[in-house]
Amino acid sequence: MAKPLPVKGIKPKRRIAPNARRIFEVRIGEVYSYEGAIGDPANVTELHDMRIAFKRLRYLLEIFDIGFDEDLSPHLEQVKQLQDLLGDIHDCDVQVPMLEEHLRWLDRQEADAIGALVVRAPPGERPDDVEEAYESFRASLDATRRSDERAGIHQLLGRRRRERDELYARFLGEWRRLKRERFRADLERSLGLT
Amino acid sequence: MAKAWPVPGLDRRTRFREAAGRVILVRWREMMSYRAGTEAGEDIEELHAMRVSSRRLRAAMDAFEGAFPRKEFRRYLRQVKAITDTLGDARDLDVATERLEELKGQMGSEAQPGLDGLIRRYLDERRQEDPRISALFAQLDDEEFAPEFEAFIETHTGIDAAAVELEPADAPTPEP
Repeated sequence: MAKPLPVKGIKPKRRIAPNARRIFEVRIGEVYSYEGAIGDPANVTELHDMRIAFKRLRYLLEIFDIGFDEDLSPHLEQVKQLQDLLGDIHDCDVQVPMLEEHLRWLDRQEADAIGALVVRAPPGERPDDVEEAYESFRASLDATRRSDERAGIHQLLGRRRRERDELYARFLGEWRRLKRERFRADLERSLGLT
Repeated sequence: MAKAWPVPGLDRRTRFREAAGRVILVRWREMMSYRAGTEAGEDIEELHAMRVSSRRLRAAMDAFEGAFPRKEFRRYLRQVKAITDTLGDARDLDVATERLEELKGQMGSEAQPGLDGLIRRYLDERRQEDPRISALFAQLDDEEFAPEFEAFIETHTGIDAAAVELEPADAPTPEP
């Protein structure tokens, strides 16, 4: 996660607005610093960092709203919308590797259980009833299998990947709309930055 | 989601350092108001509310960082981040379990064993989070974090922590 850039020139004994403007200037710049990277859906880290930058901007709008004459809530709504979309994309980006890891975990669980079963089998002794012993071993072996659990996990993986594609397309559409509607310029004007 | 407590005493003329003191102290008290419920562990919404409040506190600390001496402030910020992260790990598992329970109704029978298995795993992992949460609270008490943190905020903002008005957003409206 990208660390926030330090904000210089804060004068704590002055009012909220002049200090808040300095902070907004830096944080708005951080959001837009990811613009060049978000056109590629594979840039997971940059999309995540942009979400964090949006989150910081959103909280600033909530916290410093009291210091400004102009109503900042329409800007807050736009920022929340983009942050939420990026948050949902991030959820998918986290869940897909988790589900892939869960499939590997099932493999390990199965291998460990089979290993334990083999260790428990008495070595070198021929059972009286070979058929019965075989059936008993097979039943124990079947009980260790986790193959019935894999279908659901594969389905979940498919769902998450499709959702991710849809969310990314929506995010890109919203981002382009904000650009068309000159969101940044409007926000900076409301904050008295221009 | 629990609503943010209002911060009384702020307007356009408020100085940055005074606003820092008022906002941070209210958010700190708001977060700690959910501690008992989180420790009791009977209602997962208490932990959720505490985590949300801890994020609000962190955001307030990020916003007002410039009002404090950087090095000391970073130490407190790290501790608050540790609270958010610890609560977040538990909350993420609560959410993941809830979502899987919902999904069970939308997916076919062949998917059910996998979803059940994943839910069991998450519940197992979630149980392991409770001792971590208890340890975190014990550490806060051992290090007397609360009085130290409040004193730090008071010193650098001039706001008396004891005099800060609190209006819990979830408090019942008094009868007329």
